[in-house]
Amino acid sequence: MSTPRALRQSFALRAGSAGFLALWCLIAAFPIFWIAVMSFKTPVDAFAANPLDVILGPETRARGHGLSLLDILVGVAVLWLTARLALRNLGGWVQRFSPPGLIALGWVLGAVVFGLGFVAVFLGLLPTVLGALNALAGPLGVPVIGLSTEHYVAVWAENAFYSNFLNSLLVTTGVVTVSLTVGTLAGYGLARSGSALAFWILIIALVFRALPHSVLVAGYLPVFINSAEILRPILGENAPTLYGQPLAVIAVLVSINQPFTIWMLRSFFQSIPAELDEAARVDGCTHFQAFRWVIMPVMWPGVITTGLFSFLLAYNDFLVTSLLLDAQNQTMVPAIAGYFNRETTTTDQVEAVAAAVSITAPLFLLVMVFQRQIVSGLTAGAVKG
Amino acid sequence: MKFRTFAAFVGPSVFLMLLFIAAPLTSVFLQSFQLTQPVLERVEVETCTPGFVTQTCVTEIKTRPLLDEAGNIRTTTEWVGGLSYARVLQLGKVGEAIAAGAWGDILSIDFWKALRFTLTFTLITLPLVIGLGLAIALAVNNAAKAIRGQIIFVSLLPFIITPVIGALSIRWLFIGDGIMTAGLEWWLARDISMFAQGWTIELLMLFYRVWHVAPFAFVIFYAGLQTVNQDTLESAIIDGASRWERLRYVIVPHLMPLIVFVALIHLMDSYRVFEEIVGFSSQAHVISLQWLTYDFLQPDDAGNRAIGRASASAMLTMVGIVILLIPLLRRTWRDHRGA
Amino acid sequence: MKLKIMAAAGLLSLMTTGAYAGCTYENPVPLKSLSAGFEAWKSVTDAMAECGNVEAELDQEFRTKQPAAFAANPSLYHIGGVSNGTVTPLLNEGTIRPLDDLVAQYGGNLSPNQLIRINGQVMAVAMMVNTQHLMYRKDILDDLGLAVPTTWNEVLEVAAAIEAADVVEYPLGATMKSGWNLAQDFNNMFLGYGGSFVNDDSTPAVNSEAGVKALEMMKATTAFMDPEYLVSDSTYVQQQFQQGKIAMANLWASRAGAMDDPAESQVVDKVYAAAAPLAMEGGAPATTLWWDGIVIAKNIPDAEAESAFRVAMEGLDTEMVEGANDEAIWLISGYAPSRMAEGAIATATAEPAPISYPSTSQMGLMHTALGNELPAFFTGERGARDTLAAVEAAYTTAAKEAGILE
Repeated sequence: MSTPRALRQSFALRAGSAGFLALWCLIAAFPIFWIAVMSFKTPVDAFAANPLDVILGPETRARGHGLSLLDILVGVAVLWLTARLALRNLGGWVQRFSPPGLIALGWVLGAVVFGLGFVAVFLGLLPTVLGALNALAGPLGVPVIGLSTEHYVAVWAENAFYSNFLNSLLVTTGVVTVSLTVGTLAGYGLARSGSALAFWILIIALVFRALPHSVLVAGYLPVFINSAEILRPILGENAPTLYGQPLAVIAVLVSINQPFTIWMLRSFFQSIPAELDEAARVDGCTHFQAFRWVIMPVMWPGVITTGLFSFLLAYNDFLVTSLLLDAQNQTMVPAIAGYFNRETTTTDQVEAVAAAVSITAPLFLLVMVFQRQIVSGLTAGAVKG
Repeated sequence: MKFRTFAAFVGPSVFLMLLFIAAPLTSVFLQSFQLTQPVLERVEVETCTPGFVTQTCVTEIKTRPLLDEAGNIRTTTEWVGGLSYARVLQLGKVGEAIAAGAWGDILSIDFWKALRFTLTFTLITLPLVIGLGLAIALAVNNAAKAIRGQIIFVSLLPFIITPVIGALSIRWLFIGDGIMTAGLEWWLARDISMFAQGWTIELLMLFYRVWHVAPFAFVIFYAGLQTVNQDTLESAIIDGASRWERLRYVIVPHLMPLIVFVALIHLMDSYRVFEEIVGFSSQAHVISLQWLTYDFLQPDDAGNRAIGRASASAMLTMVGIVILLIPLLRRTWRDHRGA
Repeated sequence: MKLKIMAAAGLLSLMTTGAYAGCTYENPVPLKSLSAGFEAWKSVTDAMAECGNVEAELDQEFRTKQPAAFAANPSLYHIGGVSNGTVTPLLNEGTIRPLDDLVAQYGGNLSPNQLIRINGQVMAVAMMVNTQHLMYRKDILDDLGLAVPTTWNEVLEVAAAIEAADVVEYPLGATMKSGWNLAQDFNNMFLGYGGSFVNDDSTPAVNSEAGVKALEMMKATTAFMDPEYLVSDSTYVQQQFQQGKIAMANLWASRAGAMDDPAESQVVDKVYAAAAPLAMEGGAPATTLWWDGIVIAKNIPDAEAESAFRVAMEGLDTEMVEGANDEAIWLISGYAPSRMAEGAIATATAEPAPISYPSTSQMGLMHTALGNELPAFFTGERGARDTLAAVEAAYTTAAKEAGILE
């Protein structure tokens, strides 16, 4: 396809646009890059005033934790390969191996397997191999940058951050599944009904979306703590205490997220021609059958995009989870905030940074894998205002 | 669609929203007109507390709540009308300030101070987020296909990162001798303390919010750009429209529903600004409406919390957001009627 | 790398098995505890967990959760970690039980000093005291030939001398983050000037001579501080010390241990502690005394309360203190005060001694009002008198809402 002449751009415009993008990417990535760098240093280096000290980590190196040039080269190469595989090949593999109709599940599974594989290679295999290579490499094998994984070990092994990770996994999976199940049904119903009731449900949902969460959350706490007493007349001796229960938090997060979910899915379903399901209904299907056999096969782009937003909400939530979960069921974000709010030491802070970087990694992977689906889902009409 | 079918489809969703949003909201609404107080008694209490070696005992009159037979605190609840609202709004003080011509004094009352910040924060970030999002979307659309994927990935990072962590990562760059502050000091050759005065903290908070939300606007606009009608664009070119005119008359109108959508989401989210206040510890200088409510609800060491005022300020926050949303709601109504 | 992790894991498991022997019996009853999350609590709850079946929660939201969770029936937790501030709601609501019988039965190792008595009944068992006192860089003061200041006026003089010598970035640090911390710093100074917060009829009394003096002294000290003092909490001040940026600060005793941690600190062995400075001649050191300790819930069966108390006693034993000697100023036998504890001990044993932070509802409301209104004074928006008037107004509104004032 040749570009029409008038669409060709002057050099100044192209350079300006590229320069602007480069600057934006720098601003977008720098703070995240920086906390990643900090998380690998001893506290003295991590909070040093001189940026070079933070990057090179002399104190960390002096303690015998360092990376040689060889390590860096190999590490970068592996990272690049990983990114390339994720962006280019992962999609193909998922398409090939997942049974038709379960493509979304295939993606989730693919992402998890890929992520675990990466962790195994990068953190398990590489250090061993490189340790041997460094000894042989001479000047290339001498540490130049201080880098220590002690904080990650402290966070994941000693502070049992994996249990927070599992809790997050449980809450997030629950929220995404329930939210999408309930939301797709409601979104479809709202999209196909022109009644005034549907309109008012949408408007009220919009107002609900605008509510400050701290108001709602403070209202839940006393009820959740005393739920065993409150529910006893109805449920008898088995009445549960909702406080601390992941299921209760899932219900709360799903509800808080419903307004956004139903708005997005409604817009998406509106972009699917109503003739499709009307044709099915003429053939004798009920609304539910039409939904199941005609709409479900074509709704995945919109559902994936909406699901991603639900995922972000549940995964990143702080207010609800910190107040309504007890320590055994605590998710990752409040656990990290705990490092700061209690009487912290500087080591705690760097450990918190390491934990913060750890919880960002799955988000990275997720966006890498689903990036195309986000854009195509949005393009397909999940947002039409 | 028959009502029963409709109800079956939306039922679960509506039930959840009623139970977990509408019900608490109703109770907040009622509490804003009520005052629940414990029945107090004053008794002489001797308290002995440890020193390093020996104890000190003091006898003093203490106020403490009366307990009923079941061991619960006895409380009285009365309807007090707008008392809690009056305590939050402090209209008397506002009147005095206006009468004295000292407009600045109004801003020393927490609610008005919070309202001022919340509104400026919302209205300043709105055009910035939309402008930056659109600019990035256009630039990415203009970039070579081979690197688009990577650029979209990097651009999305600030949006997906956990807000608390994003705010902290920016805070660390600037607090004390953080490297950005050190860099600025070196560049401007003067001492800079970003957290020492209100306006610099506000600037950081604005920067953080735009940084965090612009990617959301970007990805939505970028998706919209993929569906711009090429025929219209080409005919615009044939008509001799300049690049700017094409943007102004073809692309922006095409994206208009999306711009409204982003504006709507952004208005709602930034009106309840909260993480920034905590993340940048700006309470000394600026506070927001949601923070005010949160602060009323936080119990102090003695367990007191201002439920009445918290409910009132929550309701006032809600009224504010509904007013802000009215233009957008009217548009939705028109669309609905038209559809 | 892998080997190291495995070795560490092995060591850890060895330590835990070794530690099980640390408990004299095996606890069969499932118990839960809720407390704040600082180092001392970590050590105590770890020691309790050695007895088995103990779930310890160190939660930063404990202030919000504790009163509600203890009021539930049955209580969601058996053991609570409190301080003299946070015990107030539990006492007021009657959700913790008297411990006299249990102390008589199992508390043989406790000293009378540890028993918190309300009207003669033991309601809590203290494990440590805490206070804010002066920490200083001995090397700097020695180099410049300066004596350790004992009053706040001397602090100002010494700070001026340090500033003139230009040896550190800022002579002073302070925990003046707006909110709770700033209010607490004011409380210290205010009490140092002999002020009292409320009158006998619960009306506020901070808008007084002592209040103005306290604010003015605090303002005077800020001239020697990092201009970002309104965001600096204890962790930040501690970090400033560790990075050698400040020379003196009135800081929590529980923070002292970190100054000598070589992994974080660049000033190991250079920081010393002295009594909190006096605000006025003949007064008490300008600070408050705090204690931290345990309480047992009321809404649980007596048998569970007994198990909970026994486990708590295992957590507060000499063995625990020996493993965590520098984490706090312990009240438990076996504690050997180190160099950094001198300041706290000098403060607590001063004559007249500083008062214990008052555990009253009025104080809670006053603390909040101070925390919210004082920043305006330091940002220059209001004068001292106006600020204190605003504090009193805020307190009065809150006290009326809480039913304390008519």
